[in-house]
Amino acid sequence: MKQKKTLLTVITIFVLFALVYLADQTLDPYKMRILNLCAIYVVLGLSMNLINGFTGLFSLGHAGFMAVGAYTTAILTMPDVVKGQNFFMAPMMKPLDTAHVPFFLALLISGILAGVVGYLIGAPALRLRGDYLAIATLGFAEIIRVVFTNMQSVTNGALGLKGIPVSANIWWTFGVALVTVLVIGSLINSSYGRAFKAIREDEIAAESMGINLFKHKVLAFTIGAFFAGIGGGLLGSLLGTIDPLMFRFFLTFNVLLIIILGGMGSITGTIISAFIITIGGELLRFLDESMTIGNLVIPGISGMRMVVFSALLMIVVLFFNRGIMGTKELSWDSFFNKFSKKPLAKGGNKQ
Amino acid sequence: MKLLKVENVSMIFGGLTAVKEFNLELNQGEIVALIGPNGAGKTTAFNVITGVYTPTIGHISYKGKEITGQRPDQITKLGIARTFQNIRLFKELSVLDNVLIANHLHLKSNFLEATFKLPRYRREEKEILEKSLNLLEKVGLQDAQGEKASSLPYGKQRRLEIARALATNPAILLLDEPAAGMNPKETDDLTEFIRQIRDEFQLSIFMIEHHMQVVMGISDRICVFDYGVTIAEGNPYEIQNNQKVIEAYLGVAEDYA
Amino acid sequence: MMNLNAVFQYFTNGMDLGTFLQHLTNGISLGSLYALVAIGYTMVYGTLRLINFAHGDVFMMTTYFAFYGVSTFMLPWYVSFILAVILTGALGMLLEKGAYRPLRNAPKISIMISAIGASFLLENLAVVLFGGRPKAFPSVKVLTDSVQFGSVSIQKLTFVIPIVTIIFLFGLLYLLNHTKTGMAMRAVAKDYETAGIMGVNVNLTISQTFAIGSMLAAVGGIMWGLKFPQIAPLMGVMPGLKAFIAAVIGGIGNIKGAVIGGFILGIGEIMIVAFLPSLSGYRDAFAFVFLIVILLFKPTGITGEKIAEKV
Ligand SMILES: Nc1ncnc2c1ncn2[C@@H]1O[C@H](COP(=O)(O)OP(=O)(O)OP(=O)(O)O)[C@@H](O)[C@H]1O
Ligand SMILES: [Mg+2]
Repeated sequence: MKQKKTLLTVITIFVLFALVYLADQTLDPYKMRILNLCAIYVVLGLSMNLINGFTGLFSLGHAGFMAVGAYTTAILTMPDVVKGQNFFMAPMMKPLDTAHVPFFLALLISGILAGVVGYLIGAPALRLRGDYLAIATLGFAEIIRVVFTNMQSVTNGALGLKGIPVSANIWWTFGVALVTVLVIGSLINSSYGRAFKAIREDEIAAESMGINLFKHKVLAFTIGAFFAGIGGGLLGSLLGTIDPLMFRFFLTFNVLLIIILGGMGSITGTIISAFIITIGGELLRFLDESMTIGNLVIPGISGMRMVVFSALLMIVVLFFNRGIMGTKELSWDSFFNKFSKKPLAKGGNKQ
Repeated sequence: MKLLKVENVSMIFGGLTAVKEFNLELNQGEIVALIGPNGAGKTTAFNVITGVYTPTIGHISYKGKEITGQRPDQITKLGIARTFQNIRLFKELSVLDNVLIANHLHLKSNFLEATFKLPRYRREEKEILEKSLNLLEKVGLQDAQGEKASSLPYGKQRRLEIARALATNPAILLLDEPAAGMNPKETDDLTEFIRQIRDEFQLSIFMIEHHMQVVMGISDRICVFDYGVTIAEGNPYEIQNNQKVIEAYLGVAEDYA
Repeated sequence: MMNLNAVFQYFTNGMDLGTFLQHLTNGISLGSLYALVAIGYTMVYGTLRLINFAHGDVFMMTTYFAFYGVSTFMLPWYVSFILAVILTGALGMLLEKGAYRPLRNAPKISIMISAIGASFLLENLAVVLFGGRPKAFPSVKVLTDSVQFGSVSIQKLTFVIPIVTIIFLFGLLYLLNHTKTGMAMRAVAKDYETAGIMGVNVNLTISQTFAIGSMLAAVGGIMWGLKFPQIAPLMGVMPGLKAFIAAVIGGIGNIKGAVIGGFILGIGEIMIVAFLPSLSGYRDAFAFVFLIVILLFKPTGITGEKIAEKV
């Protein structure tokens, strides 16, 4: 049975990549870009869900980790000439102006640096709980942004970085998304993942069962930051330009929306919702643009899309606060059960 | 050997002395009960022993080593496990997961070994699973392993909480009102069950309980609290005939007898 | 005077007394504004244990109400300002009713997310309704004129703001301590379930708490608009966050604490920039650094005391 499920998973992955290949062949650049964004938001959503959904830590610092990743990837992949063009206000700091690594390594370093920052933030902040943790992490993310705005010779300050090589293509984004799903999924279904969920369910009981709260919270936080850094690196590389304003709280809010809609504590929910929100957000663009129906021209209202977006979040929170999946997962077991109507004989966790 | 030694412990919240100059010695294999009226400070005494609170005054040692001020997880790791008065299971998780989680503290594999399912982790996970299934069988919950913890009936939730505590491999088990809300039949079963696990897992048990039937039936010794003060200590016979205890319970005695 | 100034300059790296006083008054008036907004945070937190993320946006809405009152409806400034404050109070009540009341018994995280959602909704609504470009807040000559003190000229507003703040603070304290409504508010803040059992109309009282908190923020918003006469849909974000930080510094739930926190933050922010101009780029980070330091070393703020959770 278990082998059969693994086989099914492998087949699904193959089908997925066949679809990616097909998309790559047939879709226009605009649609490809949206698909890329979907995959990146899967990475970002999962990284945040690990912290907020699975471990129950209310962290609002995601944009900070993404900024660290995006800047790292950008700086490590931009050609010297482009760096020279960007840094006309003040020259770039010495070893960085000629630093280069392959894209893969740049992403990895982005993740590691974001993880280090996550650790440095988490170690003090995770002594706090609930709203206090939320506010402190938000504060840290804001501090990272202000620091990046002021580090002229490293980040080019408020001007941002332009001409980042667009190395992130559909294979990269879907590849990284797949790895993230597999790694975070495997972590969640291990003893460590169970410990995270125990902390989410009841900190006091978890601690009384011998779980070192601080160690496990910092662990979840750091791993989450690691993947957020990689997601940030991909995002910067896809867009080609970054600046500190991009990493305001709004970005964290976007990712939060994904995990709320998908279900806090559901991997498959996050994946589904990353696609829904990203594609939905694009479809809603018509609200901002003028429309012609017959002879009637309806002028677009700029900003309307965001109103609908925020109203959507409110509706989800107010009326479906468990999101699409809650803490459940789509799994082969649940799939088979739908069809065979057999009662769940052995529950536990799916593999 | 003195397994647990509580010396002169007081716990003060603001102006309220919840526990005053509490002393206790717990020997290997003993069952000691802590009784007293509502709000007497019994649960607070548990919280102090398990590290949830650091005592305002006094010392606690385990196997001769001072543990005062250590965190709850450290104390559990040393071998003191507990249950809670107002059941604190991991409600949304499965029955099996609840027990599996309690094995985590002894896991040697790090998170990378666990994530990438390296051999050592696979071996440990297998052991943990076997041990947990075993425990569930012992408490009679083998058929409920896949169910959500919160969906169990009350009595089974209590049993699950005990199974979960046992999974941490304790030498001392602290039970906070294990028979609360049980009918006489269930209470009898529980008494038998406590005795059984004491023998099987070679435990020392310290328990808070209001059901005198349970307390008098299995305790080697009994401590009585009233307003945080230990007003009596002795074997069941001595306690039943202690004037101070009778006075403290007067008026409420009928509810508990 | 000369002598005093020399001594002063010795201690302040060459800043003269006049300049220092100018910074100080500036700090005090900025602090007053933070304080007015912080009171709303603290009152709501004290009652519902909720960070009302949308509070800063409520503050932003006031400035637009006042703006349209003067520019579109041609009302005299004082009428427009009063109407703006009343409208903001109503907005606060609406916010509570729509975004928080349905979730009163939901997990805390849901309520907080609802608050964040409400905040974004207000901001985006403002973009749609009022346009994304900044507008010029009406200027009121009697308040925004400057007066001359020797060599320095200081805006009247710099004095008006702290005075208005103090008046409203005392008004609020009177309301809380000497009226029936205030008593109900304090009872609900202590424990709303018990207060309900004792016959307090909990929903009404929470509504009133939001109304009062929002109206104080409205007063702050109007004075903010007069002092920094450019209003925009996102203008409430930073002052809102900083006011919240002020409330945390003062010990959240504590009104006097919020005011003290507001002053500490306002003065601190101005002084850091004044004394260490090289750090002026970090001005907005200062409040957050301060917040984190406070949270780590004295999480219940400078006036609060530690409470152990019951198990
Ligand atoms: N964290 C705390 N802060 C303040 N007071 C507390 C705290 N924990 C317990 N108390 C108080 O200490 C006293 C003893 O409480 P405790 O829960 O230990 O009583 P108990 O003997 O277990 O009662 P019961 O039989 O009702 O369970 C009570 O007055 C309680 O309100
Ligand atoms: Mg108790």
